[in-house]
Amino acid sequence: MAEQRFARNIDRVPDVFRFAEDQMLAGNIDQSVRFPVHLAMEELFVNLVTYNPTATRDIKIEVSVVDNTVIVTITDHDAAEFDVTIDPKVDTEVPLSDRKPGGLGLHLIQSMADTLEYDYRDGRSRIRFSKEQAADDV
Amino acid sequence: MFEIDFGENGEVVCRGRLDAAQSPQVETFMAGVDTSCTVDFEHLEYISSAGLAILLKTQKRLSETDAALKIVNVNRHIYDVFRYSGFTAIFEIETL
Repeated sequence: MAEQRFARNIDRVPDVFRFAEDQMLAGNIDQSVRFPVHLAMEELFVNLVTYNPTATRDIKIEVSVVDNTVIVTITDHDAAEFDVTIDPKVDTEVPLSDRKPGGLGLHLIQSMADTLEYDYRDGRSRIRFSKEQAADDV
Repeated sequence: MFEIDFGENGEVVCRGRLDAAQSPQVETFMAGVDTSCTVDFEHLEYISSAGLAILLKTQKRLSETDAALKIVNVNRHIYDVFRYSGFTAIFEIETL
């Protein structure tokens, strides 16, 4: 398991990608899994930066690869409670005229991750998700 | 690394990774598109919801004048994102 802390800035997203990519390549994880892991990491990191603007502490990200499964844990402090496992109820079937830009991030995470957990205690927000590499992904 | 520009035939060409850090330049660029246009994703490796929001916003604006974006050369990972987002019903999409 590797961990790294990132400053609360959207410009750090490429650094988050590099960190995760290094761990996943070392674990022989295929692009079909690396893509959704990157996407979930970006959506969660950007949400924390955007919706917790008064916090100052870095965001901690841990990545591990266990038995072909990528597990990512993201920890933030001084955070407001926001359960990312609750269905955002995005209706993706309405016509273009009724679609509103934005709000797809959580929907995508919930659609693409295999597991998603949220724990909130005394201002500390911890989000964990996993994505398994199936035999036919390679 | 991300680049966006017009190609030789007037299409919008995207290269690299369209993440939230890149979305301001994409939003500015796409605001200048005011007619039907092809967007070539052959060299686009990645897109997140930040990029999807810009595509949707552009498509809604163009639809007011019966214009639309057509997105071509979409890789299978990005196509999955489009499918989960319901974009396959509101954009004309061609895969690689």
